[in-house]
Amino acid sequence: MTRPALGALLLGLALRPAAGQLLTVGPQFVLSDYREVAAGLRYRGSGFGGALWARRDRLSVEAAVVRVSLDPADGSAATTGFTATQVDVWVAYDVAAYASVEVGVLHRNADPEFDAQSVGAVRVGARSFYEIGPGATVVFRANYLAAPKFSGGGRAAVSLDLGLGLDIRLAGRLHGTATYAFNRMNRKTNPGGTGEIDAPIQETLARVGLAVQF
Amino acid sequence: MARYLGAVVSFAALAVPALGAAQVAQNATVRRAQQAYDNLEYRQVLTLARAALRERLTGAERARVYELLGFTYGAMDSILKAVDAFKQVVLIDPERQLDPNRVSPKAYSAFDVALRQVLLVRQLRVDSVSFVGGQGAVPVRFTVTQPARVVARAIGTGGTVVIDSGAWNGQVNLRWPARLAGGDPVPAGTYTVVVDARLGQNTFSASQPIRVSHGRVDTVPSVTNLPGYQFLPETEIPPQSWRPVGLAFLYTGGALVGTLGLESSSLGSSSKRELGLVGGAALVTGFVMMLRKPAPRPAVANILYNRLLRDQIGRRNQDIAKENVARRQQVQVTVAPVPK
Repeated sequence: MTRPALGALLLGLALRPAAGQLLTVGPQFVLSDYREVAAGLRYRGSGFGGALWARRDRLSVEAAVVRVSLDPADGSAATTGFTATQVDVWVAYDVAAYASVEVGVLHRNADPEFDAQSVGAVRVGARSFYEIGPGATVVFRANYLAAPKFSGGGRAAVSLDLGLGLDIRLAGRLHGTATYAFNRMNRKTNPGGTGEIDAPIQETLARVGLAVQF
Repeated sequence: MARYLGAVVSFAALAVPALGAAQVAQNATVRRAQQAYDNLEYRQVLTLARAALRERLTGAERARVYELLGFTYGAMDSILKAVDAFKQVVLIDPERQLDPNRVSPKAYSAFDVALRQVLLVRQLRVDSVSFVGGQGAVPVRFTVTQPARVVARAIGTGGTVVIDSGAWNGQVNLRWPARLAGGDPVPAGTYTVVVDARLGQNTFSASQPIRVSHGRVDTVPSVTNLPGYQFLPETEIPPQSWRPVGLAFLYTGGALVGTLGLESSSLGSSSKRELGLVGGAALVTGFVMMLRKPAPRPAVANILYNRLLRDQIGRRNQDIAKENVARRQQVQVTVAPVPK
């Protein structure tokens, strides 16, 4: 899915909430921890983003865009930080009252480009959700990140993404949201053709925000 | 002769009101006979009563004179003469009744024998009634004092309709459907129910005017519920349980275990700040939801029950609609006796 097509899809969903369709949109505050290659190369930071969630019958779409400024953490070997822009999209289909299968994409872009790996991957997974009270829903998801592409090259046969989500209706159309995501990519590179070396990437992300239901 | 007598008696029955002890006779001889009877001077009663019968008397006075004769003969143990005197009483006033609590047993039995020896149709009653044409009947009651051939008719604006006929004796109860031969209700108007009794050459008639009116049949209102059955709430509030906090703990624990399991050893332990923030929020939410009143949930059994009840009410209303269509084509017949 190209970026313009994805934008058009999200815009269409946002502007045309049909009868029987739920739509929530809202801003988010983001905390993140990012590690790459070795324990000494780690970053921490915060940022802002936005999220959209839409449902029609059994089909739901979720998208989140965040921009996080990551700085070297205490004891990190890194000397400069970078800014990461991450887009996550999920399209889910309910297969049971408390479970969905989902597919989507993950795209993370680092700026400056060579300070960290930019990555793109396809998501395939499932999630479980349960309404634990009036207007309060918890979600747990596990995705396999298939065919990841890295700006620095390499491959990652095992890449997984875990998530925990919470949605609470605070008042009327106003919802509070909190989402945790952890992904790990077992990236391997072969610099100079001398043989593969491990260059894993690991990120944790917490998004806390508000959303308005339409 | 008997036919003539019957006609005269019928006329007298219509013209003479029932006698009562309180009625005061205008004729002086009758008054003296009454006074003599009150003084137990029976010989004097007989003399004065016979004298009075030779005078010009009204029907009521004549009936009273014969009644005094009947009582007097009864008191004097002349039962046959008492019976003859009472026969004259009931021929003049067929509706005359004696109160067994106020007259002597001899006089009462003589009166009863007299009734059985004269052909009379007495106590003709038509009850007030209202019914849907073709679905009810008018009660008609009368008493025939001897076994006789009796014909009951209704004569009026709609013509003459035979109510019933037969050989009857004693109390007779008839039910008149107030319909013409074709089955239609008799037209509205004033009718006279006439009962003719015939025994050999003796005949007797009694009549009662009635008024027949027509009206519209009330329709039945549609129903919104069935008696004894009520709609049940379609949602129910489940009992409070630890389930919310349990699920929040389960989901958060899953995320924690997954995170710990997936962490790369070469990258070191990952930050738990993010998971602590979101997981903590989930646990707090679960705890709050455990304490809160649970959200109502659909009560499937009640929903099915209400659906059945609505179906039943719908069917009942369909039946009522059909019934009302029929009712709008019917006539409410009201029959009421008219004072003579």
